[in-house]
Amino acid sequence: MTENSGVTDVPAEHVESSRRPQPDRYAFRPRRVPLPTEADWWRVLGRYGAVFVLVVMIMVFVIIEPDTFATSSNLIQILNQSAITAIVSMGLTFVLVAGDFDLSVGYATSFCGVLVAGFIQRNGLPIPAAIVLVLAVGAMIGLANGLIVTRIGVNPLITTLGVGTIVVGVNYAYTGGDPVVINNPTSFIALTFDKLLGLPYPVYVMFVVAVLLWTVLNRTVLGQSIQAVGGNVEAARLSGIRVNRVRVTAFVIAGICAGMSGILLTSLTGSGAVDGGDSYLLSAFAASFFGSAVLRDGQFHIVGTMLGVLTVSVGFNAMALLGLNTYYQYLFQGALLIFAVGVGTLARRRVAR
Amino acid sequence: MEDSAPMPPGPGQHEAAGDRADGRPPAAELPPPLLLSVDSVSKHYGGVRALTDVSLGIAAGEVHALVGANGAGKSTLVRILAGVEAPDSGRIAIDGTERVISSPWGATELGLGFIHQELNLVPQFSVLQNLAMNYDAGGRYGLIRWGNVRPRAKTVLADLGANFSLDREVRDLTVSQRWVVALGRSLMREARVIAMDEPTASFAAEEAERVFAIVRDLTARGVAVLYISHRLEEVLDLSATISVLRNGRLVDSLRASEVDRSSLTEAIVGRAVEQAARHHVPREMANEVVLQVEELVREPRVKGVTLDLHRGEILGLAGLVGAGRTELARLIFGADRAASGKISLEGRPFAPRGPHEAIARGVALVPEERRSQALLLRESLAVNVNLATIGRNRWRTHLPLLSSRKARAAARDMVSRFAIKASSVAQPVSGLSGGNQQKVVVSRYVRTGPSVLILDEPTVGVDVGARAELYEIIRALANTGTSVLMISSDFEEFAICDRVAVMREGRIATVVDGSLATKETLTELCYEIGQQSHD
Repeated sequence: MTENSGVTDVPAEHVESSRRPQPDRYAFRPRRVPLPTEADWWRVLGRYGAVFVLVVMIMVFVIIEPDTFATSSNLIQILNQSAITAIVSMGLTFVLVAGDFDLSVGYATSFCGVLVAGFIQRNGLPIPAAIVLVLAVGAMIGLANGLIVTRIGVNPLITTLGVGTIVVGVNYAYTGGDPVVINNPTSFIALTFDKLLGLPYPVYVMFVVAVLLWTVLNRTVLGQSIQAVGGNVEAARLSGIRVNRVRVTAFVIAGICAGMSGILLTSLTGSGAVDGGDSYLLSAFAASFFGSAVLRDGQFHIVGTMLGVLTVSVGFNAMALLGLNTYYQYLFQGALLIFAVGVGTLARRRVAR
Repeated sequence: MEDSAPMPPGPGQHEAAGDRADGRPPAAELPPPLLLSVDSVSKHYGGVRALTDVSLGIAAGEVHALVGANGAGKSTLVRILAGVEAPDSGRIAIDGTERVISSPWGATELGLGFIHQELNLVPQFSVLQNLAMNYDAGGRYGLIRWGNVRPRAKTVLADLGANFSLDREVRDLTVSQRWVVALGRSLMREARVIAMDEPTASFAAEEAERVFAIVRDLTARGVAVLYISHRLEEVLDLSATISVLRNGRLVDSLRASEVDRSSLTEAIVGRAVEQAARHHVPREMANEVVLQVEELVREPRVKGVTLDLHRGEILGLAGLVGAGRTELARLIFGADRAASGKISLEGRPFAPRGPHEAIARGVALVPEERRSQALLLRESLAVNVNLATIGRNRWRTHLPLLSSRKARAAARDMVSRFAIKASSVAQPVSGLSGGNQQKVVVSRYVRTGPSVLILDEPTVGVDVGARAELYEIIRALANTGTSVLMISSDFEEFAICDRVAVMREGRIATVVDGSLATKETLTELCYEIGQQSHD
């Protein structure tokens, strides 16, 4: 009888043999544990390599910067800095899981940030109303992306580039290129500066969004359908999944997440800058692709994306503490992405051999 | 075993060639010189031994068949010969000289050609452009000298009896014409050993005959053919030697003239198989019509189909490739929309706007292409089994949350019901054999509780043992009241059908009783063009 007979049913002869006299189970017998093969090592490296990098990074920084890095306030700071990127990235992850692309998330973040300031400052809307409207605008941008991709059949890269560029145009038309400053920002800024139980609100928003999106992706019909569509569109369609609806929904979720990030960004800075959120596009792609190389074999998933965001944040934070120049952040982020995805890809190829 | 004969040493081979140049005939008692010989090749992936000490030799002008159940090691051997994989041990010799095939390019250089099931042609390129790929036309600076390519391509295609122009785009060709192009590409590069993987799998009888003719012609010209097929009739008919692989070992190497189908099947499976497809078992058929199709049209393939499907009936759908069978199935399933015509299901009108509506009404289709149309290859068996019934594995009835435990339990249920061989329901389906993959797909659609189950080529790439099990599953479903419409290009398997409809040029030409549906009759009916005028 082997120990690893992973099958559920116990064959009849196994039941039989248990009645036979058993050998002395306490007698010394060298256990034959199979040595890990090269493929096993690669599998572990591919799945946990990136996590390992994060853990090593944290340990190194704890050792070299014990007084500044390893403090609870700095930990909170890292989480807080991660929030906006994390929310955009998780939204983008949905689109990527469905097998599409979204290049408009950064521009949507900028525009939504400007818009929330505008609604409050120019239109005098109460904050909750402004937030709901802005989220709706984010959803509309996603809807436009999704409908053009599925109904007309335009390549998602082109679609979202086009829609994103239009969003930039509307943004400039709305602002004239100047930041929209909120004159009496206290209550709006409180959204990101106030704390509950010692944690700033954005950290809660991030975790709530993460748990929500994880649940949707892994524990609902919609999420399973999104994964199926990304895995094999034709198989999904022939299994009765309404592929176009599913893809549109993924784009809408990405749009709403971009809207949420825009709101947090404006609250953080007190004003909506025309291009404030543009850089989140690259960060979100980096985090999602980094995440695709973590824990799973090249598939996008929420936990991976979160790990990607956190790894970059920890790196950035430590660099700031070490007093390194800003350009090191770019070097770090780029190298990290190539390293993680490269190791993951290499590992998959080695395991397949 | 014949193949364990020692490999002719390199120098000796050269001598022999020299002798012949002198005009002396080769010694009569010597076996024909081996063009390709494989000597105790082994290969393992992780802990799995894919090939163990496999040896075989192919002589010039010989058709050497390679048969075996899925997972027996056929594709591993082909991948090694093609230079995609390196063997762990063992030697490969070409013309008696030991060679290391380090890359697909190297294999080509050594005169090996491969026609895989996926033909690897560029659809939007012309035939000529496809033939010119990797062909050294003597151009410099990376330029292609089309003036050299064209005459050569013309000769190659003419030799293959091709009747299409070099300037046609490959995407406009039929599947069998594309196969000829793929073969032509190997011949452009002077391939002397050509491995063909399941060449007739998606061909109708007529096209398969063309393939056989081409293979015979090639061997007459001294080319050696390694012929891989699940269709034992054609293997017996075509090849001189048949090597049988089982669990990565060469279990037998037989002269085709000395074996018959049943002994060959036994060698493949390792046990005597009950030939489910061999004898027709008459069954009671209900009179109740479940699915009624009237004058269904979708040009160009479906030109007016009228068909009745009874409750609990297994209705076969025979026809040549291109007769419109798959297209008809897709119309009934709502994967495509009909231009005109009516369908009624259980007496009510049925016009599905998509597969989701068809499934909701109790119609399911197991699609033709398992890998591209049915499986999520990276996902687990459990995910694949549940794909058409995701919403059924709810955690609590009124919550929109799913339970992965229930999904696994449902998959385990199907694993035991359909005898799917897998290490666990968490195993990715990419690692399952073709037969088990097909069972996963069938179980997915059975789980939707269909009253009409359409199967499009359910046994392509499925080994003999799993095939028999699939027939049993289909029978059991029909016995419990499911109506089955089964499309197949392997006419022998229509023996399990109660009736067989023959489709010809977009219409149902005739429907015959299952007891009369022999391969010969059906083939004849498929070709009888213009028979309607006699009726």
